[in-house]
Amino acid sequence: MFKSQKFFRFQKKSARVIKIMKKDYKAYLGGSVIMLILISAIFAPLIAPADPYKTNVTKRLEGPSLQNLLGTDSLGRDILSRLIYAARPAVLVSFGGIIISVIIGIILGLLAAYVGGILESIILFIFDVIRAFPPIILILVLLSIIGPSLLSVIVILGVTIMPRYGRVVRAETLSEKEEDFVEAARSLGADNSRIIFKHILPNIFASVLVLSGMDMASMIMWEAGLSFLGLGLQPPLSSWGVMLQESYQYIQTAPLMILWPALAIMLTMLGFSTFAESLRVALNPKLNQEV
Amino acid sequence: MFIYITKRLLWVIPTILTVLLLLFSLSYLLPGDPADIILGPRATPEMAAELESRLGLDNPWYQSYLIYLQNIIKGDLGTSIFRDRSVLKVILDVLPYTVILTLAGMGLAVFNGISIGLLAANYNNSYFEKFLTMLSFITASTPTYIAGVLLIVVFSVNFNLLPSIGIGDGGLLDSIHHLIGPALALSVGWTGYIARLTRSSMLETLDQEFIQTEKSFGIPRYYILYKYALKKAIKPIIAVIGLGIGRLLGGAVFVEVIFNRPGLGRLIVDSVNERDLPLVRGGVLVAALLFVVANLIADISYAYFDPRIKQK
Repeated sequence: MFKSQKFFRFQKKSARVIKIMKKDYKAYLGGSVIMLILISAIFAPLIAPADPYKTNVTKRLEGPSLQNLLGTDSLGRDILSRLIYAARPAVLVSFGGIIISVIIGIILGLLAAYVGGILESIILFIFDVIRAFPPIILILVLLSIIGPSLLSVIVILGVTIMPRYGRVVRAETLSEKEEDFVEAARSLGADNSRIIFKHILPNIFASVLVLSGMDMASMIMWEAGLSFLGLGLQPPLSSWGVMLQESYQYIQTAPLMILWPALAIMLTMLGFSTFAESLRVALNPKLNQEV
Repeated sequence: MFIYITKRLLWVIPTILTVLLLLFSLSYLLPGDPADIILGPRATPEMAAELESRLGLDNPWYQSYLIYLQNIIKGDLGTSIFRDRSVLKVILDVLPYTVILTLAGMGLAVFNGISIGLLAANYNNSYFEKFLTMLSFITASTPTYIAGVLLIVVFSVNFNLLPSIGIGDGGLLDSIHHLIGPALALSVGWTGYIARLTRSSMLETLDQEFIQTEKSFGIPRYYILYKYALKKAIKPIIAVIGLGIGRLLGGAVFVEVIFNRPGLGRLIVDSVNERDLPLVRGGVLVAALLFVVANLIADISYAYFDPRIKQK
């Protein structure tokens, strides 16, 4: 009985959010871009017109044609197919990285807010040390220690972004802890784990969701930027950053080629950030300006 | 306010010490033996031992760390392996370029962002406003390196208007000419952000009672907008500028590599690629110090403009 009531309340809330977002053109734009990326990533072999790794030196640097809709690159590979396949590392990096930073951030933030004392100071100190470096430089140095690979890029991005979540979760937990309904639950005999899972986490969920939408855009940006510098994902893997780097060498002779990966990155970032913005307006969480 | 600033300043000291410890530990973490990298494959064990003692690698780590700290306090960041010059000198040579680039980028972002934001607030709820909002979203989701590459494709390759590499021959006009592209590329992301901030801050201010009172007095609309509302709405924008300068320092890495300009960012990328350990340490240390100072300014200006933050 109680469970079904709870379910209806959740349904009501999400129905309200969906209703607000339905009126917002930004939600449609962002949602369709994210869908497009996800579909290309999952069904890449079905959609791509050609093998993204098949080279053909007789057809180097050709412009758009019926056979190769976006033309061919310096090794004669089909650009459109490479672009579609490159959605895979982008999705893996953004979702993988965000999952790592959200999970670590929530755990550390809750620990800091609940245990307090020396542990809280230590956790906040770790956040401050990570935040003392410009993110891109921290990522760069860490990558040179571990060595570039898809997994190391995901983990390093996740750890670099993590303090944002830790700080938000800690701040919101501290303020939620003082709310009357939490006091009421406690006086009814609810233990800490029940209060955290039933009362605090659902209330900070909105802020975390909005922040992660914005950060997924940044992660795609950093991954492509690192690959562009030759420090992230390595060729021949097709990633937008790798494509950017490859076509940058031909910028004088074939300037059109660099446009496609650039547009893909911009569109993806635009999709994630507009969707997150629309979500923010609909959920209206008390997002902290300073993070 | 004074207590808040002192507390924030004191908190920075252990952070910097830990940053130094991490940078120090790089010599143990970076793959490859430093002696091998520097001396090459034909080195004798004696040469390696001599070099290790010169780099301080033969002491226990805590002793080396103390020596490292002492040297830093004396202003000695070591000697670059491949450039054979003092790291501090190498960094000081390129630092002005990064500072000028960052400030120029921030200046452009503030000017363009506030202009777009004001227009959007002025024409609120029109198609023009939707266009401007979309424009600020698009600029905010354009990474620095893509802006740089697109600027080169359009203005350097197609129209041959802007130089694509270098810093010019040293003359003032030529330097500015070489700065336009990089500064624009760097500013693009923050232009969109500041535009959105300006718009929402203006709309919030225009909603307040004193604006209604002024309207009822018959004060002209542009006068209310630009004299009274802007004065109040600009505070949160000033507060984020410190934050923005820190972020743009990171973006400068890409701009300097793409436009082939000397600067701190490119220096770090090069030294990481060359495994020039002293230079990596020095470069990252200076970048982190600048970043920490920028964040500190941001925090203090937040607290100044929004006193509620101090209590957190």
